[in-house]
Amino acid sequence: MPSIRALTGRVKATAFAAVLAAPSAWASRAGAQQQTQGFAVERYYPSAPGGGWLAMDTLDMHGGVGGAVALTGGYAYNPLVVTDGARRVGVVTDQAFAAVGAAITYDRYRFYINFSHPLVISGTGGLVGAYSFTAPYVDAGKNPDLITDVRIGYDVRLVGHSDSAFRLGIGAQLYLPNGDRADYDTDDTFRAILRVLFAGDVGHYTYAGQLGWHIRPLDDSPTPGSPQGSELVFGAAAGPRLPIGCGGTHAIVVGPEIYGETAIQSFFGSNTTGLEALLSGRFEGTADDGSQLRIKLGIGGGLSAHFGAPEFRLAFGIELFDHNTDRDKDGVSDSRDACPDTPGVKTKDPKTNGCPASQGP
Amino acid sequence: MENVIPPGKPAVAPSRRAASGTGGEALNSTLASKRFGPSLGAFALLTVLLASASARGQVSEPAPRPDEQFDFMNFITQHGLHDIKDESWNAYGQFTYITSWHLPFSERYTNLNNPPGVGNSLLPTSERSWTGTSTLFLGLRLWHGAEAYFVPEVVAEQAFSGLHGLGGAIQNFELQKQGATSPIVYQSRAYIQQTIGLGGGRVVQDSNPLQLGNVVDGRRLVIRAGDFSVIDFFDKNTFSGDLRESFFNMAFLTYAAYDFAADARGYSLGAMAELYYDDWSARIGRFAAPQDPNGLPLTLEIDKFYGDQIEIEHEHQLFGRAGAIRVLGFHNRENMGAFRDAIAAFRTAPATNNASNCGSRFNYYPPGTTGPDTAPDLCFVRSPHDKVGIGINVEQHITNDIGLFFRGMYSDGQTEVYSFTSTDRSISLGATAKGSAWQRPFDVAGAGFGVGWISQAHADYLRMGGIDGFIGDGTIREAPESVIDVFYSVSVANAVWLSADYQRVWNPAFNADRGPVDIFGARVHAEY
Repeated sequence: MPSIRALTGRVKATAFAAVLAAPSAWASRAGAQQQTQGFAVERYYPSAPGGGWLAMDTLDMHGGVGGAVALTGGYAYNPLVVTDGARRVGVVTDQAFAAVGAAITYDRYRFYINFSHPLVISGTGGLVGAYSFTAPYVDAGKNPDLITDVRIGYDVRLVGHSDSAFRLGIGAQLYLPNGDRADYDTDDTFRAILRVLFAGDVGHYTYAGQLGWHIRPLDDSPTPGSPQGSELVFGAAAGPRLPIGCGGTHAIVVGPEIYGETAIQSFFGSNTTGLEALLSGRFEGTADDGSQLRIKLGIGGGLSAHFGAPEFRLAFGIELFDHNTDRDKDGVSDSRDACPDTPGVKTKDPKTNGCPASQGP
Repeated sequence: MENVIPPGKPAVAPSRRAASGTGGEALNSTLASKRFGPSLGAFALLTVLLASASARGQVSEPAPRPDEQFDFMNFITQHGLHDIKDESWNAYGQFTYITSWHLPFSERYTNLNNPPGVGNSLLPTSERSWTGTSTLFLGLRLWHGAEAYFVPEVVAEQAFSGLHGLGGAIQNFELQKQGATSPIVYQSRAYIQQTIGLGGGRVVQDSNPLQLGNVVDGRRLVIRAGDFSVIDFFDKNTFSGDLRESFFNMAFLTYAAYDFAADARGYSLGAMAELYYDDWSARIGRFAAPQDPNGLPLTLEIDKFYGDQIEIEHEHQLFGRAGAIRVLGFHNRENMGAFRDAIAAFRTAPATNNASNCGSRFNYYPPGTTGPDTAPDLCFVRSPHDKVGIGINVEQHITNDIGLFFRGMYSDGQTEVYSFTSTDRSISLGATAKGSAWQRPFDVAGAGFGVGWISQAHADYLRMGGIDGFIGDGTIREAPESVIDVFYSVSVANAVWLSADYQRVWNPAFNADRGPVDIFGARVHAEY
């Protein structure tokens, strides 16, 4: 039985073919017309669940077996506009997504997974030179179960502690292809990003950054506005960290995040580089143990016009994270340990839990 | 079964963890498009990560996990890293691979009067079918009484005859209507629930897929909204619910005649409420219906098109053994075709209102093909219609390790199948047993019998050459479609089962001119 989506697609394709009939007749006279296939247009790669910034990573994993869950989302306006100088086509004009992620942390290690759910991907489509672009069409209201490329990642901090002035780590992310190239939500190939991460806290200031290699097999050149193989990814963020609340139980961090990508085969070429900036802010709990909430919001847009760098972007994230510290390493996390600095035993009494046998706090 | 704690007593989890809202100890377990690129590699990798469901089924709610079984949550609990009795989060997974073969069978005709390659008959030549699913169940406590669940799943499959030719006795419950041999990752469930305590004794809810471990009031109201399957919470049955550890055939997943509102994968957007009051519980819910019959996109005009259900359940003790009785009613309001209307339209204007003239109207023929001009079609008569049904579901322990089940449902059967199977009335019954008696306590064996009927209007429509979403042989000699399903699951390692299964289906697609069909199956199932 044909899928409704496929039927809808065929109806759309038929209508679209009719719309294209006149220009395609012109194109056939001008030369061979090429139908583009689509690709993963998104180049804003949210930080790992619990990672702190919207795009950068604080690299502050520590404690026992802890973790984070994150609900992130965002909207991008005009993330893919293709032009040949004479004609400008907004292939992807509106893109919104929501993503769910979870991470497990232990000491300086983090393993995580993200599932991104497109809410809207739409555009106009049309002809640019000899290339025919078909508008994507994703509507989460009608297809509430779509998931695009699944991200699996692993990070480890190699240098520094969770609160050092300089922290250095490495990370790897694997993207499992899922989705439909025609919807501009996947390359339909495996991808990976290998990164060097750095971050630090100096007084009331904090920073983070990354440099990496995006192993991207898809090379659609010379199709305008399309991936051209593997990319260098880069980015940095910095800003003040302002403690609030009694004893600094919470903090607000505000600062810019600037990040981008450039195709390695045409390093920082004008047609291969996307650069974007977000003014991001976040409110977060600072306790080492117990569930902490982080709410983050960013507004910005592309600094250079290339795919994935939209004219406007709004991004947000809500995270719950828990480092689950256990200073005395007695198996009772500090938030439940009545004697957090003295190894003890588990009891059902909160007043003696984690304290040495027959000893109270 | 929920574990009631007398007032003043500490909560103690039972040896086998029970799912929310179910009665009795569980023997069973389980749950289950877009294109996927480099498929097998991705599937293999995701299989490691993800832990199943069907409309034509693929939804099978996950079964409870025994404490002594290996899984991630038990592992970290045993190492002092997690409080499994008062959870703020949990994560479970499963993997299931099922393969089936049907032998060649006798038939008087196949796709009669249809062009080659067109029609809904089960092919009489030998065929192989398979499914692979892997699911990750993530749960998170948001605030007091509030829980959120997110369940991504990957599925790949190949059905017999393009998933045509069987009514309610689909040989593999995991099959989805829009599945493909390339793995597809999708979000099967994403919902929030709020529990409001109303007193009564305290009840332990053990940590399980779709259930955070905690203690709740025996009397409580649970409100749930989001993306999930109707049969995640309605029509539960301890012995014939989560099929990943038991029966293979879809006739045992739920009532075969239960055309619950769902998309092509078996899930929907909706809201429901459950009231637990000691041994009684009641649930009611409204869910979105697909835009077109058996399709994936849902219509969000939930005030115009919807599926409503209501169920009342009572848990009892019979001769000291636990059991439960559930009565369920459903009412669908959907844009569907009535068989009598299609027949009347054809008789009024046979030259135009026939299966070769559907044009752009939604129909069940493959793209680029049409049906015969001698047959009626539902495409001419779709309009808002109502469909109702009522069913009874009984389960009963007869020993600690052996349980019996029975389901029976009657629906009006005047309109086409919109979400589940072509069956209009159904009965299923059987027994499952754990292998304690033969010193294999984690083995499971079972035998079941299911039978389904179609309405007279449905039969008349098929006899004239019409097809619905899944069946239509060109004509029909009407008869009940029945199936026996016998399986044995061997626990080959901790939380890993290998199963063998045999099924025989009589009168496939309710047609006495075809079959019987012999089907052999095997399954690998792992939980973590």
